[in-house]
Amino acid sequence: MAVGFRDYYETLGVDRGASEEDIRRAYRRLARENHPDVNKDPGAEDRFKEISEAYEVLRDPEKREKYDRLGQNWKAGQDVSGASGFEGFDFGSGAGGFRDVRMDFGGGDFGGDFSDFFEGIFGRGRSGFGGGRGGGRNGFASRGQDQVAEIEVSLADAAKGGKRKISLADGRDYEVNIPAGVRDGQRIRLAGEGGSGAGGPSGDLFLRVRVRPDPRFDLEGNDLYVDLPVTPWEATLGADGVEVPTLDGNARVRVPPGSSCGRQLRLRGEGMPDGRGGRGDLYATVQIKVPKELSPREREQFERLAEVSSFSPRSRR
Amino acid sequence: MITLRATDQPLELQVLASEAGLHPDLVRRLVRLGALDPTGGTRAGPRFTRDAPARLARVMRLRRDLALNLAGAILAGELLDRIDLLEQRLRRYEPHDNRPR
Repeated sequence: MAVGFRDYYETLGVDRGASEEDIRRAYRRLARENHPDVNKDPGAEDRFKEISEAYEVLRDPEKREKYDRLGQNWKAGQDVSGASGFEGFDFGSGAGGFRDVRMDFGGGDFGGDFSDFFEGIFGRGRSGFGGGRGGGRNGFASRGQDQVAEIEVSLADAAKGGKRKISLADGRDYEVNIPAGVRDGQRIRLAGEGGSGAGGPSGDLFLRVRVRPDPRFDLEGNDLYVDLPVTPWEATLGADGVEVPTLDGNARVRVPPGSSCGRQLRLRGEGMPDGRGGRGDLYATVQIKVPKELSPREREQFERLAEVSSFSPRSRR
Repeated sequence: MITLRATDQPLELQVLASEAGLHPDLVRRLVRLGALDPTGGTRAGPRFTRDAPARLARVMRLRRDLALNLAGAILAGELLDRIDLLEQRLRRYEPHDNRPR
């Protein structure tokens, strides 16, 4: 594997005989100028990483001594992987070397990426040896913290799924794939989008889905329930083409004659996706509604019906 | 477009700490130092704006990467905000030439 030489002295703008104080002063000046929170230039983050990596090596006498053993005649970018004098270094062949050495890189959220050159010499990760800049680190490589945000979707969107753009409060934008049939409380994982790790991988960002209830529907398992208001005569005589709301719009059903309140009419496959390619059903529950006010003619008709009808809902069968 | 419900709702301190990747005690300390002002809630249960986690995370980055103490990092963050604001205002007053060159 070709590994380009990195001239850490050149990166910090100091000569090879620079004192620790010179190196610290150079780092702090360059860090202030290039810190991505301070400098909005697109290349600032990369420069800050390089500066942090250089400082990580040169501020530590042990690492600096190892680095200096590579020799003084290398130029930035030259392939050092096959050169003599590197017997003690493991460039990823998997055997021995300094694989178990972990570094306190200290670059934080912006400095967590090591160059191949760095990792080839010092291994992956971080350790606490050599102290560190700032407090709060425990000296062990650790995975970044998982983060949680909430997204709210309508019941129809939850059923339909698809790509959605979301914006986090900190300015991050994502296009998220909402799985069809996602349920309230379900989490969508965006791998590696959580907090930055300290030598380890970044944590994950979990989007907790909140499905906004739809006042028209009740969800039980994969099945949806909706009230179907009908007139007394539609319930008695039956009716064709009665509209029922569905998640996709409307459907039409036939209300059979003699439908009492509570009768359920099933619309197969109009429920929530079950995540395995199938869908639940939609149950329309008949609700007989009566007019609150009657015209004289309507009242007359109802009174005639009452006279001629022998039906009694309270009689035992 | 789906909007984050959380963007509309103030954050409790525990949630703020979780989203910023900080211990709640550290968040309380930062609040005492003036890094954030609660926007509501109660003294025992303050609430914070949705941008609070990002602001605290920036304070901690500045502190760690630039070897600042907490008070210095908070001040640096506030100054950066003021610079952003001033640059935005400045851009509004700068002449624009959108003609193709």
